Amino acid sequence: MSGLRRLFRGENNYDFVRLWRYGLTASAAMVVLSVGLLLLRGLNLGLDFEGGTAWDVPTSSLSVSETRDVLRPLGEAESKIQTVGTDLVRVQSGTTDPAKIQEVRQALAGAAEIDATQIAVTTVGPSWGNEISNKALRALVLFFIAVSLYITFALRDWRMAVGALVAVVHDIVISIGVYSLLQIEVTPATVIAFLTILGFSLYDTVVVYARIKDNTPMVSVAGRMTYTEMASLSLNQVLMRSINTSLTAVLPVLSILVVGSLIFGATTLQEFGIALLIGLLVGVYSSIFVATPIVAYLNERSPAYRTVRERLASKPTGEPRRAAGRKAAAATVAAAETPAADSGTTSGKKLPAGYSASHPPRPRKNKRR
Amino acid sequence: MRRSGLPTLITFVVVVVGLVAAVLAAGWSPLLGLDLQGGVAVVLKPTSVADEEQISQAVAVIRNRVDAIGVAEPDITIQGGNVVVQLPGVKDRERALELVGSTAELRFRPVLQTFPNPELLAPVTSTTVGSVSGNGANVTSTSSVPAVSTTVAATSTSKNEQSLGLPGGAASGEYALGPLPRRQSTPAPSTTSAPTSGDTTTTVGGVTSTTVTASTVPASTTDTIDMSWPPVTPRDEDTNDATVILPEYDRKTRQETFRYALGPTLVTGDALVAEKTQATLDPSNGQWLVEITFKDGDENVGTWRQAAAACYQASNPQVCPTGRLAAVLDGIVISAPSVNSTFSTGNNAVITGSFTQDEAKELAQKLRYGALPVQFERQQTQDVSATIGRDALKAGVAAGLIGLAIVAIYILVYYRILGLVALTSLGLSFGLLWAIIAWLGETRGLALSLSGVVGIIVSIGVSIDSNIVYFEQIKDDMVGGRTMRSSAQRAFHGAMSTIIKADLVSLIGAVLLYWLTVGPVKGFALYLGLSTLLDLVASYFFMRPAVLLLSQSGLAARRPSAFGVRESRGHQGAEATA
Repeated sequence: MSGLRRLFRGENNYDFVRLWRYGLTASAAMVVLSVGLLLLRGLNLGLDFEGGTAWDVPTSSLSVSETRDVLRPLGEAESKIQTVGTDLVRVQSGTTDPAKIQEVRQALAGAAEIDATQIAVTTVGPSWGNEISNKALRALVLFFIAVSLYITFALRDWRMAVGALVAVVHDIVISIGVYSLLQIEVTPATVIAFLTILGFSLYDTVVVYARIKDNTPMVSVAGRMTYTEMASLSLNQVLMRSINTSLTAVLPVLSILVVGSLIFGATTLQEFGIALLIGLLVGVYSSIFVATPIVAYLNERSPAYRTVRERLASKPTGEPRRAAGRKAAAATVAAAETPAADSGTTSGKKLPAGYSASHPPRPRKNKRR
Repeated sequence: MRRSGLPTLITFVVVVVGLVAAVLAAGWSPLLGLDLQGGVAVVLKPTSVADEEQISQAVAVIRNRVDAIGVAEPDITIQGGNVVVQLPGVKDRERALELVGSTAELRFRPVLQTFPNPELLAPVTSTTVGSVSGNGANVTSTSSVPAVSTTVAATSTSKNEQSLGLPGGAASGEYALGPLPRRQSTPAPSTTSAPTSGDTTTTVGGVTSTTVTASTVPASTTDTIDMSWPPVTPRDEDTNDATVILPEYDRKTRQETFRYALGPTLVTGDALVAEKTQATLDPSNGQWLVEITFKDGDENVGTWRQAAAACYQASNPQVCPTGRLAAVLDGIVISAPSVNSTFSTGNNAVITGSFTQDEAKELAQKLRYGALPVQFERQQTQDVSATIGRDALKAGVAAGLIGLAIVAIYILVYYRILGLVALTSLGLSFGLLWAIIAWLGETRGLALSLSGVVGIIVSIGVSIDSNIVYFEQIKDDMVGGRTMRSSAQRAFHGAMSTIIKADLVSLIGAVLLYWLTVGPVKGFALYLGLSTLLDLVASYFFMRPAVLLLSQSGLAARRPSAFGVRESRGHQGAEATA
């Protein structure tokens, strides 16, 4: 059966432990790269962070060079001029002098043959950007603290808080790296989008963790799984959800991006879209390939789970270990009977035919209402 | 134990539909932010450290100014120590920005005539007659130019008046000519109480007494006090050259105490050296006074000297018949002291008048910064044209709809009937959200901005996710060999606990962002938080009962594939294909 079909049926059983190695390596490389880029290339900070004025001229008749000619007599020829979509020309300059701003507005209106009030003007003081980012930063730090406390409390495992935070920082760093690499302009919309991503990334991570926590009882002295294997299994169980959720989150964001940039020339939407898209993808990735291995790593070092691991490792016959598929896992919790041995293979991508057929549906803790 | 959630389901749907219908019936619709409908927004940051009270005073002043130019739905808020002013749909942008952003121009105008507020006069009656009459005399004298020197003496003792004098010069008493009333709890004062100073109630008292006096002591009243109540000059006619009628307010009670007929502006605040305007203690008599210093030059201190010459003892009745010079800010008289020197030399003057320390400081502050208690600088101004705003809204809505459509297709193909549940659930929570946004817009003036729209679009993903978590859990259970019927029951617990945990993280983020940030980030956080909350509600009250009902239907038993799930063929060797 194809991978997709297995996924759809919830019978996927990927060896995440192996994938994690690649994932963590890739993540480390990307983080290093991002930091390097940030140091070398820096960020393309938008108007709101640098201070200055932007004029949005709704016109399709002005070209960049024509606009520059209009601005030359005003001493603003050095302004940054872009066409956005097909019917918007955006001019940005460092001036914040109200008189100059009006002059430019009038001149642009004259050249585009529109009324001056149709031109949107945004003026930003030089300290505004710092103000926004400082506030956002403060919010961020508090957010991290609150979420750490919350995760520690709700999932009763501080290691998960650590994992979630590392994953989120990883997301931020890589997103910033992408912004630095592509020199996309950083605006307040970008900041908002990043904050959203954090929320989303954490949300995603918590969904994975919640499943790990539900599965934790499998890792017991009587159990047949190490914590790491259980974590891998949990990922398999929530994988389809992660994929579906990511798709349903990414699709509207793509729509924001496409509609915003191509169709209507709504620049703010475009700015949101880019940041959200990058962040969503990184966020989903990190909850699987960063957050989870970290928790697994940390927990393997806790005494209880180490005992389990050592015991399992010393068993000569071996157990179906990671091979424990989803059905087997279900059975693990329920029944204690030993399943068919799987010759101790650790790759165990497939279960022997009829493997779980011998097991009745697991009776689980009854919480039925 | 209710196995069928039908009542819950029906109740929820009815409530949502009812709410939406109610909002529609009330004719409410979401209030659009200015980035969606055009307008002007400005973020003002205090240039120096300001406490909360100062900022809220500033907000009050700004609100008055905005009201005066007639903006439909101004939104003036304090966000993280900044004042954010949003003026959607405002016509005269330049003027609006100028009014809001700048500290108003201070103008010194000669007082031509004084009108006490008749409403305050009427109920006054029985106020301490003794002092009243005395004060009444003062009042009269104040308003009627140089006349009553005797009264003056009395006045000075009752320490109610203000006067403009030379620094280090005589205390107010000496030049009692037209001392400005400065009443502390003393009911005495003559004409004016600066609205600035904290004396509020006193002012009223003073006013009252004035009235009484006026009626009881007609003799003194004669000259200038007029019992009529002329209309205040509209703001756009309040130009420097005009003769205007302007009010004075008691700051604490906000009651109008006086109106003044004022001549053309003689001196503007430009002539003042702002940094040197300060409250100081007069060492000679322990009185608080306000020092003002003029800049050099004919256009500065020169104008002041001319004005003082005209007003001193009303030596030029044409220009300044009462001998008093009113300081006017924002179309409001903040102080109307009499002039007790010609100021022929020097650049300094003092305003005296038995101030308390607070009063003196407040007056100094007003003279320094204009009516705003703190000085602001514009951090960000945004001037969005109506066209661009509309386009942004269209783009936002289009992006939302297209995104939703794609998601709908995907989710329907993947989950089939369960997908329909997810979409209905999304639709219901969106209906609720729409009703709440409309309600907030209508009652709280809370506008939906572009970042809010993005927040809502993003929340589509989060809302659908709750359904996905549940559905996948059901499928997972069914892989274990259960029927859909029993899976749906059991899976809900695990799913809901996951949903709550994850949603709480989003909520924590939204609350913190809302609480700590400024401007667009705040709007975004609000809508993200709201939709997350609604997601929880919809999950519990709609998704769960709906899925449970469906799972009990015959269809679920006969054709699970219609739900995008596959009944595990575990017992018949499901793994054969593996």
